[in-house]
Amino acid sequence: MQIKKVKIKNFKIYKDFSFEFKDGINLVVGNNESGKSTLLEAIHLTLTGVINGKYLKNELSQYLFNRERVLEYLVDIRAGSKKLPPQILIEVYFGTAEHPMFKGKYNSDHMDDYGVALQIAFDNNYHESYMALIESRDLTTLPIEYYKIEFIAFSREVVLPRNIPLKSVLIDSVSNRYQNGSDIYIARIIQDDLEDKEKVGLSQDYRKLKQNFIESSHIKEINKKIADKRVSDKKLHISIDLESQNAWESILVTYFDNIPFHYAGKGEQCIIKTNLAMQHKHSQNANLILLEEPECHLSHTKLNQLLKQISENCESKQIIITTHSSFVANKLGLKNITLINEQRTASFADLTTETYNFFKKLAGYDTLRLMFCKKAVLVEGDSDELIFQKAYMIQHEGRLPIEDGIDVISVGLSFKRFLEVAQKIQKPVAVITDNDGDYQQNIIRKYEEYRADAKIEIFADNNNSLRTLEPQIVNANNSCLNALKTVLGLNTGEYGDKQELINYMTRNKTKCALKIFESSESLIFPTYIKQAVGWCNEQ
Amino acid sequence: MNNKLIIAAAGAGKTSYIVDAACAIPSGNVLILTYTIANENEIRNRFFEKNGGIPKRVTIQTWFSFLLQHGVRPYQDTLKTELFDKHIGFFLSPQASGVKIKAGGSLRYNIYYAEDAEFLKHYFTSDMKIFSDKISKFVCRTDQESQGLVFCRIKEIFQHIFIDEVQDLAGYDLDIVKSLCASVESTLLVGDPRQVAYLTHNEKKYAQYAEGKIQEYIRDKFGRRIPCEVDNTSLRYSHRNNSAICEFSSRLFPNFPSSISCNCANCRTAITEHLGIFALSEDHVELYIKKYSPLQLTWDQTVNCSSSAPRMNLGESKGLSHDRVLIYPTKEMSKWLRDNTNDLEYRTRARLYIGITRARYSVAFVLDRRQVNNISNIEIWAP
Repeated sequence: MQIKKVKIKNFKIYKDFSFEFKDGINLVVGNNESGKSTLLEAIHLTLTGVINGKYLKNELSQYLFNRERVLEYLVDIRAGSKKLPPQILIEVYFGTAEHPMFKGKYNSDHMDDYGVALQIAFDNNYHESYMALIESRDLTTLPIEYYKIEFIAFSREVVLPRNIPLKSVLIDSVSNRYQNGSDIYIARIIQDDLEDKEKVGLSQDYRKLKQNFIESSHIKEINKKIADKRVSDKKLHISIDLESQNAWESILVTYFDNIPFHYAGKGEQCIIKTNLAMQHKHSQNANLILLEEPECHLSHTKLNQLLKQISENCESKQIIITTHSSFVANKLGLKNITLINEQRTASFADLTTETYNFFKKLAGYDTLRLMFCKKAVLVEGDSDELIFQKAYMIQHEGRLPIEDGIDVISVGLSFKRFLEVAQKIQKPVAVITDNDGDYQQNIIRKYEEYRADAKIEIFADNNNSLRTLEPQIVNANNSCLNALKTVLGLNTGEYGDKQELINYMTRNKTKCALKIFESSESLIFPTYIKQAVGWCNEQ
Repeated sequence: MNNKLIIAAAGAGKTSYIVDAACAIPSGNVLILTYTIANENEIRNRFFEKNGGIPKRVTIQTWFSFLLQHGVRPYQDTLKTELFDKHIGFFLSPQASGVKIKAGGSLRYNIYYAEDAEFLKHYFTSDMKIFSDKISKFVCRTDQESQGLVFCRIKEIFQHIFIDEVQDLAGYDLDIVKSLCASVESTLLVGDPRQVAYLTHNEKKYAQYAEGKIQEYIRDKFGRRIPCEVDNTSLRYSHRNNSAICEFSSRLFPNFPSSISCNCANCRTAITEHLGIFALSEDHVELYIKKYSPLQLTWDQTVNCSSSAPRMNLGESKGLSHDRVLIYPTKEMSKWLRDNTNDLEYRTRARLYIGITRARYSVAFVLDRRQVNNISNIEIWAP
């Protein structure tokens, strides 16, 4: 069983968000704070009722709500308006027509579908006290005590999380433990794999164990002793709590080569948990594996090993992996990538075939750079990159663009491939390019489709006689050619003719660019490069 | 589509039959629908007695709870989009619901909210509880409007549906039975048309099928498209009533095959004297009660009876077993007792049938002195 879509309203970073999944591997890529972990958290919470390893009902707080929504609400209440407190809604749409009990139109799509929703909403039973509260207008926090938590199938049937047929396993970087140190997730993973008979057997054995303990001679002796101390008219004695049903869960500790699981290294833990979850024989249990940033604790080799196991064993399981790592992304397949950026998503599967194939061929290439930067500057090659970086540093007290979140990516002639991706994720991108002697054709016409896009800016010079970067530099420094020659490490007597200097620079593109980059002398940069630097400063 | 209607005599082991039939179904989910909560519990208990528990794939539910959960809620906004976010509850309405103006003064009849003009008031109480007498209509309309989503979903969940006390269904309920029969793999409808005590509601729709005419409804409305077998014999043998009671009660419904007392070795062995049908004078009631301790059955609470034995309404006694019963017949019932060719309205007839068939060993009728002298076909008991 799989999930095909998740819709999230007012939960943490998400105001109104929708994410579609496919069968098998799903790679969720996004920058820090883009909500990747929150997405996994939301899915896991809705399918299990557990957040941060604890039951939601004990963990309900204002911080689960979207901060802006809460502030809006508080401001409105203080201004005297009578407003319903914000509600959290997380909907999980099942991908298969398997559980008709969960079928109905009670979802925000209003379509006949299978799924379940978590609603954290105002409980109308508190209407009166709530009215009294907002009447006072003195509300500084969300009145969380008036909320109720409900898991509701699309058929409007209120369900318990344990009755939701789809189970998820969340493998994240934080391990949540029971008091005795045993790991909740691993206990859960193992539990989910047990047959009912096995579970009953376990709990009965545990009960017997406790019974035997109570009947041991030592306990009896102690009880005799206590009974003798007449503290009350009633008989006083000690015993073990026999009431809780599944107490065995919390005392079981998982061993791994005789080492308690939680003493194993974080990386090892991650691998064990993932593999355990993938090997479940139950078809309906733990079908969904949520894996958070596997690159975090794993060495390159171990990561490789884990990724190999995932791609080999994932057929029957749906795995949702969040990652920062281009290595993970390349290894598990670019077509599985969905990007999250500012609560928007873009799937690599939607890209045109040419663009998709282009990125696929760039094995080992840092495919994710475009996604993680604040702004990107696309240049043709190394020399353009160096010159731009230098121009930027001069304006920014020697800081490299990357230190300000601006990534300069050298893309050869594939500007349009990158622009296609940038457009999908609404990333601000500048292109610095040569006019190659035909501004009209190579700039205006070529980038016509991006002219209306406010996030994409093309920087090139319209003087057709200055075809490339080198004549542009020479032209910009026309009044101080000797200074330029010094920077390039040439004698002022050499290359007296301007064209000769251009030819020299063009033959030694990278060498010259490096000289300029490393020099402490300042040069004059071509206008279109300066404009690009200016664009970087814009908000 | 494998549909079967079984006409079950009183005490024929209907509940056992249903439980066995449910356990015998090899695959698929089974839904057992009952009309009353008491009946639901009885079936539940029988599962535990016979099977040690209720199999996971068997669901037992009352008719109304089923309609609310699977008929109304999944697509409740189909007829009115504003219902999307409402929580719909259930209101058991004793009378016809949705009264706009009560009769009184010059107004001789109640005026009701119309379905199309005042949709919400027609179907719901002010706090969004759906009226019990409109719920099946709502379900039928929703299914129609949504191009069959309701029954399509039910079919996905349950492959086999059993309906107990099917004779109590009326109006749009019957259309729901028909839709269920047309969609799921198999249905088993069990009931006794002679024992209609309370209908699910009094709906003008299909009034012609109200008086235990489920068989006629199936004949007229199912047609050839939805085949349904009628089984008059499987549950004909009463494990409760002795042969005298079987014979006497069957006189009330000559058009049905008469019930037959079972030959089981263990049924009815506790008592061997004062067996069959008796009449007695009201003067002897106390003595009779002292001697035989019967359950007293009356039309309603207003009937004068003895305080030295338990009493119950005839209609409410449905489903119960008692060694002996003492019935206080109404005037019309007395007329029929004197001469079985006398006319007796269906509702009264059904209740008399229910009362008589409660007894394992004996049924006695309380008559006034004059009536006792007039009766010839029933043995008179005197101390």
